[in-house]
Amino acid sequence: MEEKQTKISARDDNYTHNIHKSNERSLDRRGFMKTMVGAAGLFAVSTLPWGAVAAKKLITGENDAFPTKKIAAVSALKPGDAMEFAYPSEHEGALLVCVKEGEYKAYQNACTHLKCPVYWSKEDSELLCPCHHGKFDVMTGNPLAGPPRRALPEIELKVENDAIYAIGVKPYEA
Amino acid sequence: MKRSYRGVLLLCLVLFLNLLFTQYTVNLFFAQRYELTIVLAAANLLTFPLAWFIYRKEKRAGQ
Ligand code: FES
Repeated sequence: MEEKQTKISARDDNYTHNIHKSNERSLDRRGFMKTMVGAAGLFAVSTLPWGAVAAKKLITGENDAFPTKKIAAVSALKPGDAMEFAYPSEHEGALLVCVKEGEYKAYQNACTHLKCPVYWSKEDSELLCPCHHGKFDVMTGNPLAGPPRRALPEIELKVENDAIYAIGVKPYEA
Repeated sequence: MKRSYRGVLLLCLVLFLNLLFTQYTVNLFFAQRYELTIVLAAANLLTFPLAWFIYRKEKRAGQ
């Protein structure tokens, strides 16, 4: 192009002739719209796997069967006590709280804010998150204070033969 | 050359829809509402031809 040209006529010598932005016009309106169409395509493709896995789950009817896992003996927990366990996999921390005699609540205790482990404070009767002082209601798992906005996922329990078992995780409500 | 922002604005709208669909697809997947997940993923797919159509219609605007 003209970039090599060094001789500038007096009429054009307006102190900008030495500015060569070769790509100056490449992101014009049309180019921008093209980019946006591309982005739309990217979004479209990105949700494909989710749809596919959802379809597969619908077809096979497999609804995430949870294992039954023994957590503790009934005698191990007095009212107000709590104990940590892992459910459904070894890498998912959970917390079992004996709210009162014979009544138990369990939650996956990764805080719904930034995943710190939530613990049970016996003095305050609350589930506390040490990281940013999030608080959760022990009866429902709902956030009470602090940054968390979503409830802790509740673990379904059953008591049988003097032992407490975890039998599933309640799905998110959305 | 007169400027036309309509195409750009319409495409912004499409991208906004994309954001909504994507977010809800993921959220509903974790809520195990699989039918809705599929519907939203399909809706997200349909935004691409829509964007393409808008682009084709608007690329000459204002010239
Ligand atoms: S991680 Fe629990 S409050 Fe921030």
